[in-house]
Amino acid sequence: MSILAFILIVVSLLSFVVAQLILKRAMEISATNGLRNSRFISLALIGVALMTVSFFLTLGLLQRFDLSYLYPFQGLSVIFIAVTAAIVLKEKLSLRLIAGTVLISAGVVLVSMS
Amino acid sequence: MTTEGTQKMRDQPRGFGNPWLQLGLSVACVLVSEFLLKRGATEIAEPDSAFSWTGINGLESPLVWWAILLIVASFISWLYVLRYVPLTVAYPLSRVVDVLVPLGCWMFLGEFISPLRWCGIALVIIGLALVAKPVAQIEERL
Repeated sequence: MSILAFILIVVSLLSFVVAQLILKRAMEISATNGLRNSRFISLALIGVALMTVSFFLTLGLLQRFDLSYLYPFQGLSVIFIAVTAAIVLKEKLSLRLIAGTVLISAGVVLVSMS
Repeated sequence: MTTEGTQKMRDQPRGFGNPWLQLGLSVACVLVSEFLLKRGATEIAEPDSAFSWTGINGLESPLVWWAILLIVASFISWLYVLRYVPLTVAYPLSRVVDVLVPLGCWMFLGEFISPLRWCGIALVIIGLALVAKPVAQIEERL
């Protein structure tokens, strides 16, 4: 794997994780302030833009690598999202959730490696 | 699950608006779109073109457009889910798709699953059960 491919995988993963956090925040705002709130609209647009970047980068990577090769990186997104949601959005991350998240990530990696 | 989380779950709409049903729909759309994307991307692959790193040339394939349609549908369902369910619970549960893809290939396409892959599937299922159990207990109480 070239350095360019590694950078693109990391950028794709990071943009996906940040997009999920922003969209969650946007939907929380929409629940209290409605769908016409300007803060909701701007956050939702940023989230969608980041998801689009992640989507096209993944599509470009899929043309060069097997789905099974790229899947372990998607597995890592489970841990990244759970941890960042706990830190940034102050969501409660119990021991059970941490254990479940780690098992899911490990399982995804195993499924794609074999 | 916190008291606030329990209260949010109590306020959840029922029927088609139920966020857990929407999570299932979102997963189903992602599942089909993954297969369509891979087939579409392979069909129009141009590894020698530097431009193809952006993935934009994938739009030449009709399968990619069908996949995009499903992704948009799944995205709308997902946004709805995020309104009611914490990200720390919803996102790990959405990874059930990682079990459904190989299981679908095994059941419907007769593909071989290695022992290591079965172990991976088992780990994901145990992880999903750990994440989902407190949610299921609250649902039962409501």
